[in-house]
Amino acid sequence: MTLQLHATPEEVMRAVDALRDFARAQCLSEKTVFDLALALEECASNIVNHAFKRDAGQKFSVTFDRNGSDIFIELRDGGPCFDPTGVECKPCASEDEPPGGWGIQLVHYYMDALHYTRDGNENVLRLTKRLTTQPGTT
Amino acid sequence: MSLEIQIQDSVVAANAATTVKLSGSLDTVTAPELERHLTPLLAQQGVKDLVFDLAKLKFISSAGLRVFAMARKQLKERGGQATFIHLQPQIREVFDIIKALPGVAVFKDIDELDRYLAARQRSHLEQ
Repeated sequence: MTLQLHATPEEVMRAVDALRDFARAQCLSEKTVFDLALALEECASNIVNHAFKRDAGQKFSVTFDRNGSDIFIELRDGGPCFDPTGVECKPCASEDEPPGGWGIQLVHYYMDALHYTRDGNENVLRLTKRLTTQPGTT
Repeated sequence: MSLEIQIQDSVVAANAATTVKLSGSLDTVTAPELERHLTPLLAQQGVKDLVFDLAKLKFISSAGLRVFAMARKQLKERGGQATFIHLQPQIREVFDIIKALPGVAVFKDIDELDRYLAARQRSHLEQ
């Protein structure tokens, strides 16, 4: 399934809801549904907030599908060249430092692989989650 | 999924506290809503401790965590703190992964929170 989305938080959650429906239709566990939903929310929110500064006139796409025992999510945006996989995930050095990188830290935890490429004028981020057991038990 | 926010004054271990009950999803859409509810609350100097009851919170993203971090910082500046109770397993896991809310008190239930606050109160009285 591919969704074309405007760069707004509401559209991010529209994609997240669609992903949840897809994952449940695949009989994935609620834990896996949560993991996938969170990873997509974080990556899509980064596009909306940082690439497009919440400009609703800008659009990006989200594709998700199952390939054997893998679930993949692909995000494409025409924003400035940016590789989110290169962002350093570091916890706050002190309680008073502003938080940063939490989103990508969560994505790295919940997904098994992140792959970024620049395709022409588009950033392409592919997230993969490996389902280690049969559907319904993952 | 939407976010329902209930704010109520409570007494925990003989201390006045404000409990914020969240239900639903704390995400990129709903996090600003929580922030809007917390801003006037945190502006009250008399509010030192906030208890976030997350029993019915099913989803949280970094957007929500940043609101918690903001609240915790403001409360800490006046000698208070933010505590979290009744975290569902998937929410607790997110807190554990980030480890970026140092000093945040997470309690299993209200009884555990009661015992902690009572001990803290005794400690303050002894000083």
